Amino acid sequence: MQGSLIDSLARQGITRRAFLKYCAMLASMMALPPSAGRAMAEAMATARRPSVIWLPFQECTGCTESITRSHSPSIEGMIFDLISLDYQETLMAAAGHQAEEALHATMKSNHGKYLLIVDGSIPLGMNGAYSCIAGRSNVDLLKETASGAAAIVAMGSCASYGGIPKANPNPTGAVSVSDLVKDKPIVNIPGCPPIPVVMTGVLAHYLTFGALPELDAKGRPKAFFGETIHDRCYRRPFYDQGKFAKTFDDEGARRGWCLFELGCKGPVTYNACATVKWNGGTSWPVESGHGCLGCSEPDFWDGGSFYKALSMPADPLKLGGAAAVAGAAAGVAVSVANRVKKGAAKASHEKATLADLEK
Amino acid sequence: MSASLEKGIHALKEVIDAPIASYFNSCVHCGLCAEACLFYLETGDPKYTPIHKLEPLRRVYEQEYTLLGRLKKWTGLSKPVTDDELDQWQELVYDSCTMCGRCSLVCPVGNDIVYMVRKLREGMAVSGHVPDGIKGAAKRTVEIGGPMGLKWPAVANVIKKAEEATGLTIPVDQAGADYLVLLSSMEIVNFPEYLEALAKIFNKAGITFTLASDAFEATNAGIQIGNSDLARVIVSRIVDAAERLKVNNVLSPECGHAYMAVRWEGPNLIGRPYSFKVVHVLELLDELRQKGVLKVKDKFKEKLILHDPCQIVRRGGVLNAPEPLVQMVAENYIPVADKQMWNWCCGGGGGASAIHTEEAEALRAKAFGIKKRQIEDAGVKTMVTFCANCRIVMEEAIDHYEMDTQLLGLTELLAEHLED
Repeated sequence: MQGSLIDSLARQGITRRAFLKYCAMLASMMALPPSAGRAMAEAMATARRPSVIWLPFQECTGCTESITRSHSPSIEGMIFDLISLDYQETLMAAAGHQAEEALHATMKSNHGKYLLIVDGSIPLGMNGAYSCIAGRSNVDLLKETASGAAAIVAMGSCASYGGIPKANPNPTGAVSVSDLVKDKPIVNIPGCPPIPVVMTGVLAHYLTFGALPELDAKGRPKAFFGETIHDRCYRRPFYDQGKFAKTFDDEGARRGWCLFELGCKGPVTYNACATVKWNGGTSWPVESGHGCLGCSEPDFWDGGSFYKALSMPADPLKLGGAAAVAGAAAGVAVSVANRVKKGAAKASHEKATLADLEK
Repeated sequence: MSASLEKGIHALKEVIDAPIASYFNSCVHCGLCAEACLFYLETGDPKYTPIHKLEPLRRVYEQEYTLLGRLKKWTGLSKPVTDDELDQWQELVYDSCTMCGRCSLVCPVGNDIVYMVRKLREGMAVSGHVPDGIKGAAKRTVEIGGPMGLKWPAVANVIKKAEEATGLTIPVDQAGADYLVLLSSMEIVNFPEYLEALAKIFNKAGITFTLASDAFEATNAGIQIGNSDLARVIVSRIVDAAERLKVNNVLSPECGHAYMAVRWEGPNLIGRPYSFKVVHVLELLDELRQKGVLKVKDKFKEKLILHDPCQIVRRGGVLNAPEPLVQMVAENYIPVADKQMWNWCCGGGGGASAIHTEEAEALRAKAFGIKKRQIEDAGVKTMVTFCANCRIVMEEAIDHYEMDTQLLGLTELLAEHLED
């Protein structure tokens, strides 16, 4: 496919105005200044579509589904279609030798310039034999492809942190992209699956500024992973008031109270679900009445039951009684000691005279 | 000759009580008391934050009466209070605290800070850290009878002059009178018109009164210095005289802390209720005004503002009497923003006016800044007050700033304009 992005979008019925609005929305979501929206639009509209190679490893195709099917047709989907996606097994028409040829041709002609997107974890067990494409192990493929990439995007929790394949006891010896590749810039976009707009946001940033967005300590774009679900949750006021749903069908649940006691992992999960929502802004897990699973955090699968609260207060009544008794006993002891001391001081009072004022 | 640190600490251990324990524990370090203190406000120096002035007392409380404090003292984390430290604190406890009680009023957790300053002074007194000026006043009051060293002949002289000026008899040591009239030395020396005014008003109202030759002085330097034993000796003179003469009421003069001493501290000092009532002269005057006995023939024309003395109004509780009396006699009374219980101290109460070191005098002059602005903002040349000490302190400050302001005593002002 040839031509600039804006023309392609126009052909698909997306107006320039809608595109500008979208770019402004992206910019604001990434906490960029308002002028960045226009810059993004200009850069993306005129940019030569970057060559993208998408490698699927140990994955379930959920990440791809998330991007392509979430709310079709979306601008995300359009942009995604309109990057030069030169290799994507699930989406490409070619198969077998043709597909492999396409991959190698792209790697050669765009060496050092293409963007590598990886979804799925990489198994190291049995020399990588758990997952092979065209007779080659994932680990070999990744190393070869990564060597010519400008940057790598680890899509989803598996590529970012190992995800479900890495869950205890990790039979395939699965690892994340950043465990293997150390010499390339890597953006982790965790989530099971990740939010589509995060993906397009990172791509837009890359196209506009020629660099990856600012990342946090876990390699995630700060713009989307800077705050916890809990901090931005619309049910947060109930948490602050101590109003919790105790079961999924009690009065509290019906009233939409906080799901903390039902195991919501929102307080320890960094992601943008609470603000961006899912399916074109329709809803998100907590809004649908279920706690956050923490799917975008490393090793979320091994964090214990999804329905176990992060912490529970100790039985206040039991402790309260003991504390009251202990406190009363300590209080009596201190007050007796103090009374004795003050009594002694009073008893030994020497009447002051004028002479007592002089040293 | 026998003051010592040990005695001071012992005294503090004696005075620390349940209110003090709860005050120290409930202090939230908000600093509101700083903004309420005229010394902090006018200097901006945080050491004048009222609660900070109590640091030695707090430490003794913590080290002697709390578990954690004892542990801290034992492990050396909390150093014991030293003589040098108390010496350093003398300025904060005496020079820069007039016991005006504005800090207690604003404290959001209800800590009576000025109550604690009074208690801390007990320790300061017997550890030998009292400024010489107040010490001298206390000595003269105990040994001679009044802080200025005045004896009865001086009072008798004032009585004689007042009798001549008014043509009325002023009874002395007359048993069964309604009121035992007390004076403060300031009135005897500087404002003898007070007694004349009083004689006229009593005569008009048909109330009997008397002075006592052995208890004419109302002020109590023992309270300013902060020693209850001495304060008791001084207040007992009044109680003894009042009970001997079987009066119904004791009339406290305009002087602020005299009222505090006789009215509020006295019964606690002697450990029993009085057999008589203590009335502030303004309370009596307002009562007479309401009864219609007090009528003015003309009014004071100039614009004037009122200075409410702390010990009478904010701490003494004589809140509502002064203003109607001023309004009765003044045509152009201008209420100031911070009046009544919110008034600002003259800068020399609580014994501070007796300290004559250069630093103390400079600090007092500085603290007067807030009053100065009140006077200037109101654009008046006259300020009325009803405390002889406030009057002296402010007169000094007015001289210092070379201001064109005259000070008047409220009782005298009333007497001057009363119907004959």
